Amino acid sequence: MALPSYATPVERALHVGARVFAGLVLAYLILPLFVVIPLSFTAGELLIYPLPGWSLRWYVQFFTDPLWTGALANSLMIGVAATALATILGTLAALGLHGSRFRGKSLVVGLLVAPLAVPVVITAVATFYFFATLNLIGTYAGLVLAHTILALPFVVITVSATLQGFDTNLVRAAASLGARPGLAFRTVTLPIIAPGVISGALFAFVTSFDEIVAALFLASPQQRTLPRQIFSGVSENISPTITAAAVVLLVVSVALMAVLEGLRRRGERLRAGGNG
Amino acid sequence: MTRIRTALTVAALAAGLAPAASWADSITVANNGGAATIGFREAYYKPWTAKTGNTVVDDSFNQELAKIRSQVETKNLTWDVVSVTAINEATGCEEGLLEKIDWSKYLDPKDFAEVGGFGQCGLPNNFVSGGLVYDGDKISADNAPKTWADFWDVKKWPGKRGLLYRAEQTFEVALMADGVEPKDAMKVLAAPGGPERALKKLAELKPYIKWWKSGDESMQNILSGDVVMTFAWNGRVSTANRANKRNLKIEFGAGHVSGSQMIAVMKGTPKRDVAVDFIRFASQPGPQAEFARKIDYAPANAQAYPLMTDAEKATLPSGHMGKASLQSGKLYLDFWLNNGDTMLQRFITFAAQ
Amino acid sequence: MPPNSAALLAGGVDAGLARQVRRAERRRLFGMLALMAPSVVFVALLFAVPIALFLFRSIDNSEIRTYLPRTVEAMAAWDGQETPPAPAFGALAGDLRALGDSSAVSLLGRRLNYAMPGYRALILRTARNLPDPATTDIRAAMIAAAPQWGEAAPWAILKQQSGSLTSFYLLAALDLERGVDGAIHRVADDRALFVGLYGRTLLVSLGTTLICLVLGFPVAAVMAQAKPATASWLLMLVLIPFWTSLLVRTTAWVILLQNQGPVNKLLQWLGLIEQPLALIFNRTGVFIAMVHVLLPYMILPLYSVMKGISPTHLRAAASLGARPLRAFRTIYLPLTAPGIAAGATLVFVLSVGFYVTPALVGGPGDQMIGYFIAYLTNSAVNWGLASALGALLLLLVVLLYAALGRLVGFERLRVR
Repeated sequence: MALPSYATPVERALHVGARVFAGLVLAYLILPLFVVIPLSFTAGELLIYPLPGWSLRWYVQFFTDPLWTGALANSLMIGVAATALATILGTLAALGLHGSRFRGKSLVVGLLVAPLAVPVVITAVATFYFFATLNLIGTYAGLVLAHTILALPFVVITVSATLQGFDTNLVRAAASLGARPGLAFRTVTLPIIAPGVISGALFAFVTSFDEIVAALFLASPQQRTLPRQIFSGVSENISPTITAAAVVLLVVSVALMAVLEGLRRRGERLRAGGNG
Repeated sequence: MTRIRTALTVAALAAGLAPAASWADSITVANNGGAATIGFREAYYKPWTAKTGNTVVDDSFNQELAKIRSQVETKNLTWDVVSVTAINEATGCEEGLLEKIDWSKYLDPKDFAEVGGFGQCGLPNNFVSGGLVYDGDKISADNAPKTWADFWDVKKWPGKRGLLYRAEQTFEVALMADGVEPKDAMKVLAAPGGPERALKKLAELKPYIKWWKSGDESMQNILSGDVVMTFAWNGRVSTANRANKRNLKIEFGAGHVSGSQMIAVMKGTPKRDVAVDFIRFASQPGPQAEFARKIDYAPANAQAYPLMTDAEKATLPSGHMGKASLQSGKLYLDFWLNNGDTMLQRFITFAAQ
Repeated sequence: MPPNSAALLAGGVDAGLARQVRRAERRRLFGMLALMAPSVVFVALLFAVPIALFLFRSIDNSEIRTYLPRTVEAMAAWDGQETPPAPAFGALAGDLRALGDSSAVSLLGRRLNYAMPGYRALILRTARNLPDPATTDIRAAMIAAAPQWGEAAPWAILKQQSGSLTSFYLLAALDLERGVDGAIHRVADDRALFVGLYGRTLLVSLGTTLICLVLGFPVAAVMAQAKPATASWLLMLVLIPFWTSLLVRTTAWVILLQNQGPVNKLLQWLGLIEQPLALIFNRTGVFIAMVHVLLPYMILPLYSVMKGISPTHLRAAASLGARPLRAFRTIYLPLTAPGIAAGATLVFVLSVGFYVTPALVGGPGDQMIGYFIAYLTNSAVNWGLASALGALLLLLVVLLYAALGRLVGFERLRVR
């Protein structure tokens, strides 16, 4: 909505006002994150400005206190396992969905993405009751399975999206040239869907790495994850170590986002190049 | 080659993830968190691990009995030992959630008589007093609140008040604020209309209450100035003062709620014997005195007193017991045993409405 | 693959080849289904089944039948007048004896206590003082163990609650209960909680949605008109918080909004306030943090719709003499409607299920339905009621999707 030259002063003011307003809203979105970062480098015990001095002591504590290192290790381990499971299952499902038509397909799609639509607290509580009967509460397996359920829709959606531009005839062409299905998959399908699979895997990892609600219900102290540790800290006693942990989570998420954005832009460039 | 190396790595990782070694056990102990955890860790876990080689994983909870119930009733035990309030020990024992253990086989009941003696399942571990707390640097001694009625006076002392988000203890406090003598608080509460009277008193203060759930949270609130006064437990107050070089005051004269914090074994744990061994260790005079040094809750074992210096003993709440509403005795136990769930439900509804 | 290729072939070439092609196609379909199968089984088993069991729990009433089978049977013929015949007393004693000192006794007592306060104590007391099985007058012995068994009320409640299914929890989730006479009525005001809670949940969600719309619309519009390079920078400013863990963002607000936190300090330093404002552990804090968490879900769909609006529409309006404001109202706003619908639905549905953020930045009076589902599961072990609350919440979400989702086309949105 560029402003035409005959706009009245009031309209011009509104136009500028909208930009200023948008700037303020963006500041509200982004500043809270950046205000927390310096606090994690405080030399003092309290989370207040001005900082009494700079120090890495809270990071040292984060990376040496077994409570926090254990939580970080748990988060990474559970995240990697859930990601692997969700990525394999989701990619296969997306390939199957793309290559077939049958009655009830929308039902299958609905089922696979349903964990996204149901409020997480309901999924977590339902899983808690179910896992209690299977003695899976307080086990790594239980948490990995729960996170896989929550992450799977992202893999299905992202891989499906990549496959939309994928011509199945390419696989047939490979087959007609004598390639066995395995070879055709490795040399034709995989390179094309790889960016989608990687994006899906990243989504899945972040979903698990940031997940708190299922962890609150299903984890015992042995499986305590980073978000879980932060949660109990925030509800009891906010120490600067928690801000250090929060910054670590922040950095991981933003780094993964950057990779994902890069992949997306590369994909767009390739597609644009192909069309041009 | 690569494949073999991978296999070896996986095997090594798996070995690393498995319990350290079969001869050493690991138990999970749940306590009240924060400063209490530090006390448990320094006084009990570390020396016990050094002595036996067994290790402890700790977890914290805010005395929600339900956390014990859901573990036992679904047979998904994540804890082995719990530190519980006296009423939770009694309720949990009655409901079959805690192991019934005859502690007199291991310890002398005489040493624990003064703090209520052994329960059917658990035994006292330390003695806690919850009282009226304010910041001595912000409220001068001549202007300080002296009674729970003062605590309710938001005109003279404007600002928020911290109270425990539980029916038990908070109802007693509300009745003291309504003019009931501490020693009569339970009598009034258990009589018809008692809970209504407590809720009515709480309703007067409701807009000013900031509820807290854990001891650390109560300290965080008053140290940060979010509340001007709070109900809080004595050990938390002294540790907060020590750690932050602050001057929080506790006014026992206003009346306080005091009782034993007990320790018990979860029903059905496969590590019952190790758990019992841990509890026996934590009940010895040495660790008991060390715990009191860490968090200033009075030791449950009378034999611990001779090990403490006079200065250390001076921080304990003895000498104010005339102003206590005790968390023990038939009246108290009967009321909270039979009405605990109902009272909690009414309290939660009241707070959320 | 054109679906009618087999038919084409069948018409043109010979039937044998057509059959072969059909068979090959079928084999291919089976292959594809086999690819899907693991996920479908996985989600069905670990998501659909648990949810179904969870929903069933809200009407399930198996405890009483499981723990007191003989009593339920013995009471079947009872007409509900005064107390049941003596065999029911004997059956109850036998059932309780069979339970022994397991936690089942207290579970049973707790279940019955929902229906009648005091029942837990009655059951535990009876279980502790069970009469000798050899006694001749079992009725008198049971009444001696606990006098309440001489009254009609506990028996009536027991019979009323002993069906294999119950409406008890669903009624309770709506602040209703069935009296001893069987009529449904509202619970006393000091016990009524959940209707108000649903109202609060809807109100907070609606408020959050409106604030997100008011804040998000200009941002999306400005982004949509910016030059591509600028737009991608602005997009980053939305995506970073979007990608940052909800917990990290909530933590940030807890720190920022504290009494002595940076926001209050800044306002005091600027001289705008003297006493720190209460910004957290109240409704204000809940809105500030929830809007912050959900705003990207409003901005992103709005932005993607706005980017697709061709400037020629507005130019056309202008050339026909419309003032910019009028062009905005009559052309631009209607064109953004799908984005508004998508964003608003997303934000609304997500906020209805919120739990962690209000739990950390709100007081007890600001908690929503999700908090109580968690509370009843974790801190009260009233799973029937938790499930009933969850069932109603799920129903609400499904209705919202059905009403708005069709309009929006969710599959086009990439949701995190």
